[in-house]
Amino acid sequence: METLRRIIQSQDQIPLAAVKPIDQGFLKYRAQCLKASQAALRHPAHRRASPVSGAPLSPAGDVEGIPYGCCPDTGGFFMLELPAPERWREVLVETSGLRRSPETLHAELAQSRTDTVYAPKLEWIGETLRLHGMRQPLMLEAVTEPSSFRTLLKESALCSDVIPVDETKLIAQRVPGGPFQAAVLLESLDRVSDPAGLVRGVAAHLEEGGLLFVTALVSSGLDFSILGLNSLYLFPPDRTNCFSLQGLRRLLQRSGFDLVEESTPGALDVQIVREHLQRDPALPRSVFERQLLEMNDEGQAALQAFLQQWGLSSFARIVAKRRKVIA
Amino acid sequence: MRCLIFGYGYMGKIRYQVLREHPHVSGIKIVDPALDAAARAGLEGVWLAPTEPIPWDWCDAAFICTPNNVTAELCAEALRRCGRVFCEKPPGRNWEDFCRITDAAAAAPSATLMFGFNHRFHPSIEAAKALIGDGGLGEILYLKGTYGKSGGARYRENWRSNPEIAGGGILLDQGIHMLDLFHLFLGELSVVDAVLADSFWGCGLEDNAFLLLRSERGIPTFLHSSATLWKHTFRIEIGCRDGYLIATGLLSKTGSYGREQLVIGRRQFEDQAQALGNPREEIIHFDRDESWGREVHEFLAAAKQGRPAAHGTLDDARRVMQVIRDVYSLGERRPAAGRR
Repeated sequence: METLRRIIQSQDQIPLAAVKPIDQGFLKYRAQCLKASQAALRHPAHRRASPVSGAPLSPAGDVEGIPYGCCPDTGGFFMLELPAPERWREVLVETSGLRRSPETLHAELAQSRTDTVYAPKLEWIGETLRLHGMRQPLMLEAVTEPSSFRTLLKESALCSDVIPVDETKLIAQRVPGGPFQAAVLLESLDRVSDPAGLVRGVAAHLEEGGLLFVTALVSSGLDFSILGLNSLYLFPPDRTNCFSLQGLRRLLQRSGFDLVEESTPGALDVQIVREHLQRDPALPRSVFERQLLEMNDEGQAALQAFLQQWGLSSFARIVAKRRKVIA
Repeated sequence: MRCLIFGYGYMGKIRYQVLREHPHVSGIKIVDPALDAAARAGLEGVWLAPTEPIPWDWCDAAFICTPNNVTAELCAEALRRCGRVFCEKPPGRNWEDFCRITDAAAAAPSATLMFGFNHRFHPSIEAAKALIGDGGLGEILYLKGTYGKSGGARYRENWRSNPEIAGGGILLDQGIHMLDLFHLFLGELSVVDAVLADSFWGCGLEDNAFLLLRSERGIPTFLHSSATLWKHTFRIEIGCRDGYLIATGLLSKTGSYGREQLVIGRRQFEDQAQALGNPREEIIHFDRDESWGREVHEFLAAAKQGRPAAHGTLDDARRVMQVIRDVYSLGERRPAAGRR
């Protein structure tokens, strides 16, 4: 199976402010997410093992008092405490609603986010389906409702239909209408308490040779590598898990998938780090990092292009193919 | 299947490696009387001494990886004796050689014959093929290809630079791959004009060829094939109604052609993009070349199933050899600008 590394190099400079600004709305959303998570963690169960390798997670620090661990084999940040799955689902439902609230997250950026976040994802899915000779597959979307993307997917006519399924329950469910030829997990693996179970659940619902589209924010990219747990974008439940690219790869491979494409087409790493440093100049950074981030716009654009090209941006996309089951 | 490889040079070695790893291949023998002791190391039991007869009765498939001057003769004999033949490009030194192969193939209608045009199997080319037309970029408006190498310090000593052995220069040796890709995208092509030059190496063969071609539907196509590209280059530009594709670089053993990639650009006018004429591009990088393996796999599958190969057919070979014949004919009519 060929491995494609697809990157986006664009003359369009996407400003952070057009996608996910660290503004009052975002900070309010973040605070509410943290509050909901902290409330759910009053009776936590401990998560000691890496969802990638099973190795014991080593303590990495905390986000507003919520402890995170690190996978010793593949990196990545994972919440060390999690409540019962049903309780975590309630948090996801609650915060998913917040994400659509005009008072909190980016309501004024709806069109801009459609253009810069969703449209490229649609194009990616459409192009990949064409490259694999797949016409109008029946698609599964694992999600915590509501889903803005499903409407766009349906309107695009890329799929014969898109069937939603609760991302926290897929492992235990038999989804009517399947098996599916394609499935999409847009940052679902970042949120759910059992990412390995979610991938196994998707595998169980996909035909052999079916395609799985995954997007995730990855710890191996530049901004998380520099900022670590100081990143304001790293908080539960949105980042219950923050895999490294290598970790995602391994998770999918050991769950019955072959990788056919992986890329990090993120356009915001450098801007994110700069934004954080402007907000908090006391954040630790090395001399080398300082030099990188003090480059002029041309240099920073070149750095971002380099990150895209070599899998080092913090936004990752993966296409994996359901492996044939050998009896 | 038991496979016989004729010629253990650059291509013979590649085929040997691929066949060794192929699950359907049970035996390999190599026929190359020119092999010295060093080259034979590790081939005990595989390499046939010059005194040994060619084991036609033993072999299920023959791979012709020889210099051009013996290709046609061997290919014709293998078609007669074995019936399953994989022949490296070019299919002979010239049109006459190719016709000998055609005649032999006509006399063996149930034979499986495939020519080595592996570039069709390169991932950037397959992706490009999937994206044109209904794939989203619309019909092709034009094609432009550059394929060239620097030759190297011992270029003149190589049999490829000997007119008697090679029969043609860089166009026949390497440009033929790009011509095959042009045919893959556009079908039959005819020669509008061509300029050949032996400008540096002075071997009596063209080291640069500039071809202007046209498809049956009138789509213009341009090829520069060169042995004086000091920076090794593979580049094919495909202009389409709704965008463009640029495939560059080739996953090769040395990596000298650069990382294989495909640029995908979509037509954007000023109502869709801030900068007119500078559209958003997507680049796919390819990190694995399975073209050799897939090409051989297709041949062995076709041979096993007794069907024609899906690629590298006699008709594919005819198309490129016709163009090359016509280009050389033009060159000979214009010696000042053509071959020496």
